[in-house]
Amino acid sequence: MKRIRIATLSHVLFAVLLLVGCNQSTSSEKGAGGGSKKLVVGVTMLSMQNEFIVNVHDEMAKKAEAEGVDLITVDAERSPLKQVEQVESFIAQKVDAIIMNPCEVEASSPAVTKALAAGIPIINVNSETSTKPSAFVGSDDVESARIAMKFIAEKLGGKGNVVMMHGYMGQAAQIKREQGAREILKQYPNLKLLAQQTGEWDRAKAMSLMENWIQSYGPQINAVFAHNDEMGLGAVKALEDAGLKSKVIVVSIDAIPDALQAVKKGTLDATVFQNAEQQGSKAIETALKAAKRQAFEKQTLIPFQLVTTANVATFLKP
Amino acid sequence: MKNGFTTSFNQVSTSYKTRVQGIGKYGLLAAFLLICIALSVLTPRFLTVQNLMIIVTQVSINALLAFGVTFVIITGGIDLSIGSMVAVTGVVAASFAHPDTFPVAVPLLMGLLAGVAFGAFNGFVVTRSNVPPFIVTLGTMTIGRGLALILSNGRPVSNLSDSFNFIGGGKVLGVPTLIILLIVAFISCTIVLRKTVLGRYMYAVGGNEQAARASGIRVGAVKMAVYTLCGGLAALAGILLTSRITTGQPNAGAGFELDAIAAAIIGGTSTSGGSGTMTGTLIGALLIGVISNGLDLLNVTSYYQQVVMGIIIIGAVVLDSLHNKTNA
Repeated sequence: MKRIRIATLSHVLFAVLLLVGCNQSTSSEKGAGGGSKKLVVGVTMLSMQNEFIVNVHDEMAKKAEAEGVDLITVDAERSPLKQVEQVESFIAQKVDAIIMNPCEVEASSPAVTKALAAGIPIINVNSETSTKPSAFVGSDDVESARIAMKFIAEKLGGKGNVVMMHGYMGQAAQIKREQGAREILKQYPNLKLLAQQTGEWDRAKAMSLMENWIQSYGPQINAVFAHNDEMGLGAVKALEDAGLKSKVIVVSIDAIPDALQAVKKGTLDATVFQNAEQQGSKAIETALKAAKRQAFEKQTLIPFQLVTTANVATFLKP
Repeated sequence: MKNGFTTSFNQVSTSYKTRVQGIGKYGLLAAFLLICIALSVLTPRFLTVQNLMIIVTQVSINALLAFGVTFVIITGGIDLSIGSMVAVTGVVAASFAHPDTFPVAVPLLMGLLAGVAFGAFNGFVVTRSNVPPFIVTLGTMTIGRGLALILSNGRPVSNLSDSFNFIGGGKVLGVPTLIILLIVAFISCTIVLRKTVLGRYMYAVGGNEQAARASGIRVGAVKMAVYTLCGGLAALAGILLTSRITTGQPNAGAGFELDAIAAAIIGGTSTSGGSGTMTGTLIGALLIGVISNGLDLLNVTSYYQQVVMGIIIIGAVVLDSLHNKTNA
């Protein structure tokens, strides 16, 4: 009996080692090509399962190719611990600059400290760490929520009931988008926050949540503010099924392709466009300047844009 | 000495034993009804036909996964890859479901095929190696997630045909299709488990694998069938989810395996194998759905929702272990 146990344990260990081994190999694979004089930029992204992040990265890759720079990309899979290890491995590979799309405000900070200590410039893209990096390229999430909530307030004439769908509680984007929404709510005392709950950035979860809210509040709901488009689209689906969409305004953030289509069709009232392309290309530009020891902007803020039926055509890709 | 103690203990505990067995059998249903009554008192919005229909709709995808994993757990196994299978099959189905490309049967069949193949692969590795199912399906869980991302390029597969979106999002005579399919799946799974030889073999394998083998049951074949069935049901869940939210998402279904396993365990399926029923699993899934719906109606924050859910899962397992101990 005991022997079987040990055998099982060794299987577990083997599997764990195998998994760890896989991760290691992806992060160190491409580092060996440093023989030429090409600049090498290490990139660690929050999650390559997130469409917006993938878009930012695609643009970085495009820009890097145009500039003749080698990009080593790794996926932190939402784990700040992994991200710090990845940056450590970049430092060991002596890359010329690092671009980090942080997993977490605090927990990803040690990566910044380590890179700076090693004399390698590190640029934050899309969101920030609490430890100041060499430069930040991104957008102010608080502003995106202000834009969205202001649209709702104006549509409702400053009066009505709003429900808010949060992202994952405690994530930087959720905290900042809530902050922006609340700032606007304060300016409109007749705009009431009827209910709020997390939809975990997920379309299916948001749809269930909206169905439940329709049950408990029904026609009282005048508008929905969702922290991202996936949830906004889930809310739209639930409202459509209940035959209430024409009476409720839905606004969300990110302007993903599905959301743009929905705005075009008129089912989603508005979304807020965060410019992935510019974030990606500006991040590479800044990283290169920093690597070549040229002067660079410490903070590049890419402005948001409100997308409604009026201007959606300019955002839709052919 | 030891024997004497056991005898007297048995005598003393007879009444306790019958009582706990009673709880094991009807406790779940009682707890479920109690929570429903409590919610009806707390909010008038709970006990309406429309709300109940919404609960069942919301529960259906988890229930389908839970049916599949119940088969597996009954044989003493586990399948952690079902959440990833939802993503893979959803993405596969969505890829064939764009308007004006294929008839709606094609995405359905391709999705199901993907799930069945995935499940069969799980079964193959489990039966052909000495690696515990926990590890095998932990591995295939990661593989599946990767496959879904590869197939979809990391982006949601959208723009699906209306006929495809009808499968999981439509209504027939006012009843959501999800509810109809849930009932059909429930009846089919119950028949497989209770009325077929395969079903009886599942209990036998989970109860005592060596005895089952000695009595001539082809244990490997039973396990193969069970994992394949689980894959098929996960595919159905994946297709329906994709249809309901009108997009195939590579990150869909993350964590679904835990909800499904929770439903099976709350429903009285023993984690050590050999016992469990589809009715129990269905009630388990409904219980989870009712609580989450009820807490949403009461506007309770999700932090507390998670705590409540955890307490219920542990409570169910404790009840189950008491039940097993007195049965032994």
